[in-house]
Amino acid sequence: MSQPKFIILSGDGINCENETKLAFSNSNCEAKIVHINELLENPTMLRNVQGLALPGGFSFGDELGSGQVLSLKIKYKLKDHFNDFIFKGGAVIGICNGFQVLLKLGLLPDYKKERTISLDHNVSGKFINRWVTIYKHPQTICKWTVLLEDLSINLPIRHGEGRIVYQKNLETTIHNNLLKNGQIVFQYNENVNGSYENIAGICDPTGLIFGLMPHPEAYLYEGLNHIHQKEFFKKAKGQLIFDSIVHYLKNA
Amino acid sequence: MTKKRIEVVNIYSNDKYNYLLKKNQGKFDINAIKEISFFKMDIDSLKELNQNVLEIFYDSIIQEIYQKDYTIPANYNYAVEIGFRPGVTDNLAKTTIEALHLMGIKAKVSTGKIFFIESTMTIKFMQQFAREMLGNELVETIVLHNIIEFKNTNRFSNIHLPEVKLEAKFEINEINLNVSDEQLNKINQDRCLALTLKELKSLRDYYNLEDVKSSRKNIGLPTNPTDLEVEVFAQTWSEHCKHKIFAAEIEYYESDDAKSTDNYVLIDSLYKTYIKKLTQALAKDNNIDWLVSVFDDNAGIVRFDDNIDLCIKVETHNSPSALDPFGGSITGILGVNRDILGCGMGAKPIANTDIFCFCEPTWPDQNSLAELPVGLKHPSQILRGVHKGIEEGGNKSGIPTINGAIYFDRSFAGKPLVFCGTVGVLPQKLSDYTPSFQKKAKVHDRIIMIGGDIGADGIHGATMSSLELNENSPATAVQIGDPLTQKRMLDFIMVARDQQLFNAITDNGAGGLSSSVGEMATQSGGAIIDLARCPVKYPGLSPYELLISESQERMTLSVSPGQLEKIKKLADRYGVILTDIGEFSDSGYLVVFYNSELVGQININFLHHGLPRLSLKAKWSGPQLDKSWSTPSNKEYIENFDKNHLLASLKLLLQRSNIASKQSLVKHYDHEVQAATHIKPFMGQTQNGPSNSGVIWLYPHGGSADNGIAISCGLNPRLSQYDPYLMAQYAVDEALRNVVACGGDPEKTCLLDNFCWPDPVESLKNPDGEYKLGQLVRTCQGLYDICYEYKTPLVSGKDSMKNDFRGKTVDGKEVCISILPTLLVTAMSKVNINHTCTSGFKQAGDVIYVVGNNTSGLLGSEYLEEYDLINKKYLVIPPISLESNLKLYKTIYKAINQNLLASCHDISDGGMLISLVESMFENNLGAHLNIFGWENIDLINLLYNEGPGRFIVSVPKVYQGDFEKQFGNLTFLKLGQVTQNAKLRFENDNDVFINEDISTLASLWKKEF
Repeated sequence: MSQPKFIILSGDGINCENETKLAFSNSNCEAKIVHINELLENPTMLRNVQGLALPGGFSFGDELGSGQVLSLKIKYKLKDHFNDFIFKGGAVIGICNGFQVLLKLGLLPDYKKERTISLDHNVSGKFINRWVTIYKHPQTICKWTVLLEDLSINLPIRHGEGRIVYQKNLETTIHNNLLKNGQIVFQYNENVNGSYENIAGICDPTGLIFGLMPHPEAYLYEGLNHIHQKEFFKKAKGQLIFDSIVHYLKNA
Repeated sequence: MTKKRIEVVNIYSNDKYNYLLKKNQGKFDINAIKEISFFKMDIDSLKELNQNVLEIFYDSIIQEIYQKDYTIPANYNYAVEIGFRPGVTDNLAKTTIEALHLMGIKAKVSTGKIFFIESTMTIKFMQQFAREMLGNELVETIVLHNIIEFKNTNRFSNIHLPEVKLEAKFEINEINLNVSDEQLNKINQDRCLALTLKELKSLRDYYNLEDVKSSRKNIGLPTNPTDLEVEVFAQTWSEHCKHKIFAAEIEYYESDDAKSTDNYVLIDSLYKTYIKKLTQALAKDNNIDWLVSVFDDNAGIVRFDDNIDLCIKVETHNSPSALDPFGGSITGILGVNRDILGCGMGAKPIANTDIFCFCEPTWPDQNSLAELPVGLKHPSQILRGVHKGIEEGGNKSGIPTINGAIYFDRSFAGKPLVFCGTVGVLPQKLSDYTPSFQKKAKVHDRIIMIGGDIGADGIHGATMSSLELNENSPATAVQIGDPLTQKRMLDFIMVARDQQLFNAITDNGAGGLSSSVGEMATQSGGAIIDLARCPVKYPGLSPYELLISESQERMTLSVSPGQLEKIKKLADRYGVILTDIGEFSDSGYLVVFYNSELVGQININFLHHGLPRLSLKAKWSGPQLDKSWSTPSNKEYIENFDKNHLLASLKLLLQRSNIASKQSLVKHYDHEVQAATHIKPFMGQTQNGPSNSGVIWLYPHGGSADNGIAISCGLNPRLSQYDPYLMAQYAVDEALRNVVACGGDPEKTCLLDNFCWPDPVESLKNPDGEYKLGQLVRTCQGLYDICYEYKTPLVSGKDSMKNDFRGKTVDGKEVCISILPTLLVTAMSKVNINHTCTSGFKQAGDVIYVVGNNTSGLLGSEYLEEYDLINKKYLVIPPISLESNLKLYKTIYKAINQNLLASCHDISDGGMLISLVESMFENNLGAHLNIFGWENIDLINLLYNEGPGRFIVSVPKVYQGDFEKQFGNLTFLKLGQVTQNAKLRFENDNDVFINEDISTLASLWKKEF
């Protein structure tokens, strides 16, 4: 395939669309920011693209739970167009608020099954912005991390509801299942928000749908590191997430 | 319609309210607390809520939902139900209504919280707890039940939604101003006009003019002004909008002897004489060519880039934050964001800066509680609420908070100062190549209001902020912001601007439509509006209320009739409410209709130029220490220096609120959304290194690749007690030092001035007004002199003038609390993002220097807040040497651009030793210091004086020679070197003074606020 095309969703309180677009553009693909209502007006746009990004932000002000109302809007207004896109193997990334949307929609961990995972308030009960170290799980099948050679990566987290919670009393089964399928993508190196097994990101059984709480689009250049760097423009590891999927789609 | 109640319970607990628990030093005896959300609804036609609909309200994996009574865990013995008062912004309800709408369901919704509480407290103390810690009765209803009573309230069947019920009171009243002075004063007070007698009389005289009378008669208006007209004048002529004190004619006396008239000056407006003149003089004398628009628009606009222009504005929201800390601060930050959105043809906000002045939150404690006047909130509540409002406002708008400060002094117990600032970017040209900093409403353009609906909220906000606070201050002035509505509006404005769908834009801030339309009407020459077209939150608002309401999240656009359909369609797509309320004209009048009825006609020229000037007196007769209204803390007397004191004082100072790390608060602000924050508030491997300024990379915002800006601030209110002239200069120097330390170019730096003052107008109840005005004059003089010398123009500013509280303590003692006169200076500086610097040491072996003149004097220092010195020779304020400082700043800039400095940290609160210790935190690297020949009490003076114009820098060994050559003509002193060993080791030739682990020092400094 030549250049893959991506839609980056915006509007209704999403606020990381510009940096997410920059990330895709840096990976040499066509990326377009589309307002959610524009997509509702013209849903066939989804037929012409290979990927969709749900960026971070505070969709609907986080009221009723992070990602809750945006997921309802997609579910009730975009309906079949969205399902078709997923069914045909469209690549999806949900970052922070976008991850929350993917879980509420039931696209993660597996859209063919019942929802079993959600994101709850951080154990601290507070929004927090800090840089964390996350580890890529060696067995992950995620297509958004194929170029990430080092297992560890530093990224900022900026969330109040990032604690991964499994369906009560089924925790071990769900977790083992994810592990077995290679769906655990990233884990924090410490307990940052009370997530089950310090999970920071997971993917679906195809590895094409991927959600994570930390922000890779905030670390495209070393100059945005929390450790002051001399070479501002040196490519940083966050970029590799976007490079990975573009690389994968080009070679698929 | 059916009424429903739903309650949602979280399955998993979190620590959100742990700070309230007794075991965590909470003030009240609380053992356990659990929060539940409730929704009360009035839903059309639906008998039962099916599972699909219920899914709106909860997430079954983490929450349980109830529509009838359920078992409350047995340990809880109280329930507190908190709902919104009628008409108060309820963002959760708004989103719920939207979500229900997605499913085709129409509903009225009101939300709130229930707290289940386990406590042994009596109902009386529970009530106090609920009012102080859980809700705010100004905006919320708080109902306390014991748990048994609560279970019997039948809350799931007995459902009432709060509703605003106003009598439909369409009425226009004439106001007869041809009455006695006494009656004029009464009108002024009853209507909360905040005008002076002189101003009311000049309004009366205008309406008594024969041609005014006859023209009013011709169009069918009464000869007397209508209430709507008087209200519009009161808004526009308020101190808040017209800055009457800064525009006043001032007779200024400067003498030790108050009676002497030797040093008499007549000042024709402080603003013109010191602020505007400074920038004009600088631009002319130094050929500064990067000032695009200053003092004209909502914000100052400067050019530090080839593609974009930058605009910057700092506002205050003090009175609202005193009444409702959360609502006050969130509307403050969203409000200044709108200033930027309304700047030029609509700038995009890219960074926020927030500075607070508070009373320390640990005071009063249980023993001194009686000293806090009745009606004032406890300082800890103010801090918590203001912080939360800033957090939500910034985070939910997707604007990073990159800089700030919190200054503590007891004088801010009466009114906290909440400074909210925003930086924005504008493309230099619009798509048709017209400059985007200019705008003009044209004749026949439609007047378009966008954003939220109008309610009674915020009526008299502008006039209230021009009055002192007292126990009866109106609650209607308090509002809660709605970041979602504003974010949608922001997204919409950016697209509409790029498509050039409007000709002018301004925000609806203080004074609401009356100010925004009144101001834009000056561009075209007039306007006609029909208030009946305004979208309202509820019926029953009278025309004047619609016109002056300060309901948030609104802006006004001027749109060519030809673009109307296009802009309507765009607004629809972006989920923005857009209303056509009238037309710009060139009639010379603001003509106001309600449907077909004419309710007011205001002469625009008289509205903007008819305000009579104030004539005031000011005198400066040397320092007058504020008479204390609260018991001061005991200080330890220091007679002699010994090394134990050195370590003990260092440890004590590190914990002082003005010095300690504010990270526990700052980490809750998103400081890197938009992915352009190069220098964040806390840097380094540890993420503990405090930054001197925030640095934003401009490329993601349309700027050139290597370009950035540094944003910092400076303030030193305590010095205003001794010499306001120096207070101003310290503030400027600190702000400039902070940007320079990060790589800012001192020759491409602009400043903003924000004055917050106690009432400087002398009256019977304010007997030292002349002195306070004298302090203001001195401050302006100090500001002018230093800015002229540093060649840093002032590009925007604001003043807030009545920061006093008058009230009584529990025992009936009368108290007046006036803030320390405060000048906040904000700096914005151009940086090359390839050559920046942070505060912390980078590598063991690097050489540590202090650069700049080490002056003497501890007066006004943090050290002297903790200790008293017997030796009076140190009781002076360190002088400031402008010329050598500027040379130093230029040299630092050069050195950073040559990569000579590994770190650079400004020396301010706490002095040199504190700054040095802070430099160790970024990367957990130690310092080995050796100062020959320094001992005795002079060492205290050296280490703790807060003299300006100094930095702690570290230099890689290989550059030591280059560095010393570069700084050859300037003062610098080698202090020691950076060590891998994470310790502060401080010695002279024969003794070790300090040998302490960084971790120990850091744990003292990292305070939980």
